[in-house]
Amino acid sequence: MKLAVVVQRYGADISGGAELHARYIAERLARHADVEVVTTCARDYITWKNELPAGEEKINGVTVRRFPVAHPRNTAEFGKLSHLVFEQPHSLNDELKWLEAEGPASPALTRHLQSVASAFDYFVFFSLRYYHAWHGARAVASKAVLVPTAERDPAMGLAIFAPVMRGARALMYNSFEERAMIDALSHRKGPGVVVGVGSAIPDRTQPWRFKKKFNVRRPFALYVGRIDENKGCAELFSHFERYSVMYPHGLDLVLIGSSVIPVPKHPRIRHLGFLSDEDKFDALTASDLLIMPSRYESLSMVALEAWALGKPVLANGFCDVLRGQCVRSNAGLYYESFEEFAEGLFLLDSTGPLGEVLGRNGRDFFRRHYSWTVIERKYLEMFDRLKREPVPELEPLPGFFARRTRNLPPGAKVIAAVPSGPAV
Amino acid sequence: MADLNVRSDAVDVEQIMKGIRARIREKRGADYTEAELQQLATVKLEKFLDPKSVRSDLVEQFRKSVVVPPAPNFEFGETTLYETHRGAISAIRKLFKPLLKLFFNPDKITSALHIQSQVNTQTEQRLRRMEERERLSYELLHNLTVELTRIGIEVHNLKMRAESLSSRMDFDERRARAFEAHTEAQRVAEPRRQMEARHAEPRHAETQRPPQEQQRSAEAPRTDGGVSVASGGGPQPSQGPRGDGGRRRRRRRRRRPGQTFGDQQNQANAPGGPVGMAGAPADAGGAADDGGGDDGFDDDGGGNDGGADGGAESQ
Repeated sequence: MKLAVVVQRYGADISGGAELHARYIAERLARHADVEVVTTCARDYITWKNELPAGEEKINGVTVRRFPVAHPRNTAEFGKLSHLVFEQPHSLNDELKWLEAEGPASPALTRHLQSVASAFDYFVFFSLRYYHAWHGARAVASKAVLVPTAERDPAMGLAIFAPVMRGARALMYNSFEERAMIDALSHRKGPGVVVGVGSAIPDRTQPWRFKKKFNVRRPFALYVGRIDENKGCAELFSHFERYSVMYPHGLDLVLIGSSVIPVPKHPRIRHLGFLSDEDKFDALTASDLLIMPSRYESLSMVALEAWALGKPVLANGFCDVLRGQCVRSNAGLYYESFEEFAEGLFLLDSTGPLGEVLGRNGRDFFRRHYSWTVIERKYLEMFDRLKREPVPELEPLPGFFARRTRNLPPGAKVIAAVPSGPAV
Repeated sequence: MADLNVRSDAVDVEQIMKGIRARIREKRGADYTEAELQQLATVKLEKFLDPKSVRSDLVEQFRKSVVVPPAPNFEFGETTLYETHRGAISAIRKLFKPLLKLFFNPDKITSALHIQSQVNTQTEQRLRRMEERERLSYELLHNLTVELTRIGIEVHNLKMRAESLSSRMDFDERRARAFEAHTEAQRVAEPRRQMEARHAEPRHAETQRPPQEQQRSAEAPRTDGGVSVASGGGPQPSQGPRGDGGRRRRRRRRRRPGQTFGDQQNQANAPGGPVGMAGAPADAGGAADDGGGDDGFDDDGGGNDGGADGGAESQ
């Protein structure tokens, strides 16, 4: 079997959620099939500037083929178009312009996919909301398997995406909540399965080494990820500062990741910056719990890693996916207000009554559903199943005038109408 | 292929969250989310800004953040009056300019219009600044109201908490008083019990003495705490079993409903009442065993026993 994994950025040092997800999947599927990665020359997901050389290279034994991005993102133009398509009635043409402005616009990549379509059995596209996935999935629709990594954001409410969702051969969802949202948006009937992704969990971790290296003496709650307002970090800081006043002997907060917003200067908040995987896993083992303050997640890999290491998670209750996972796994609590945040931290503290039990559940949950054998099996079984399934017809784009009629509702309005809440 | 749908049985996160929310509600009276708080604040804001004396659409006016584009202005210089993009006309105007100046003074007009242009610019700037200030005032007002609402709710919750704490404290005080009374009663009863335990042995020995000696000891008067207790001649009915084998019959007299210990004492002191206290007939010594020692706690007639045994000991 020959597979192509198509993703917006790819590299051993690129750590974005969907990109890492794609790399893990490509490397794992390479054990069972001939896998090639098709991607762009971009490294930065905001500008999509061509920073890596076009052409072929090998990363961890997988062939990677890069194509240049035609133009970097014009943020002002993208902002204007985003406002139009998310907030106002607009046309299909406006949405296509928005997609072009969002990037990474690489017509060369799409042309390549068309030219090699017959050489591959399936094309696995990551992140539907980007140019490469939308155009690619339309170019080779009869072999397109989508990993949408869709969050509950207005972009998913745009009319251009539903036909692609319906036309793809299969959808590999990250969570039940994502599947419910996509089903509601596209009324898709074809095959799909909730898979998610595993992680490279080390066999042994050294929590004491982490504590010694970073001089961490007190018990702490951990946050791993980009320190950004979009990730809920501003709210996290505000909640934690109040918590530290209420519980002077409570947990400290340790942050791992690059910061976009300033980290408050507080005696109980430590920012360690971007760390290696080894340090990250040691930190997870050394921590009492992991905090996930983001409201928009299609799947939190770091939450899965925490569960794999037997640590409970305190998640933002407004994120349907995280909340659903906490409930299904019985391995984490969630909060929607400061009081719930403080109570959750108190309960999940390692000296508290719950942390260990939830951590144990988390380890069990990860082993049963996110271990690599389970993930690989789900992918391989889906490819087998697709051989027997009928190929759906891809809906063509409307005509010249229909594309220019401003009769589409705002994306934010569409997504707001989709039922929300955890799927439990 | 089965999707993941298995749930651990050991703990139930949903139940835990319900518990957490119940605790929070108990702590602060009502559970408001941030959105609810904002809504409450909005209601308050409208209430504050919409009394009879204020314009009814003030809130709307405040909320309107429509940026009015600046009014068109003009630059007015010395040559503005004669400007044209047509070269020929410009030349003619230049030619007849002295003639025009002969009939009236256009410089005054030019100067006035130049000043007017500057005034317009300044007014425009001032208006922009005022708009900025208005926006800031609205934001300030809004934030103040939100804070006020938050504080109002907090005060309400604190009041409820104070009430709850006060009722708990009352309960604790009552409980403490009950414990104190019980401990005091036990403290009083304990020496008596110890004394009885000590006396049980000699009393047993007394039964082994010769009858004459027993009679002597029974006849001897004694003083017990200033209260003269006279024991009846010969063995009393209640004392019979003691002489037999040292087994004591426990009797407890219960108060009648509504009767207090004071009432009982008064009854005992009254003529014809229960005997065994000062002034009681001597032949009723056996009955004194029943009434004299009953203080409301479980006692076995220590008063009378003390009298009889004390008498024996005094021998």
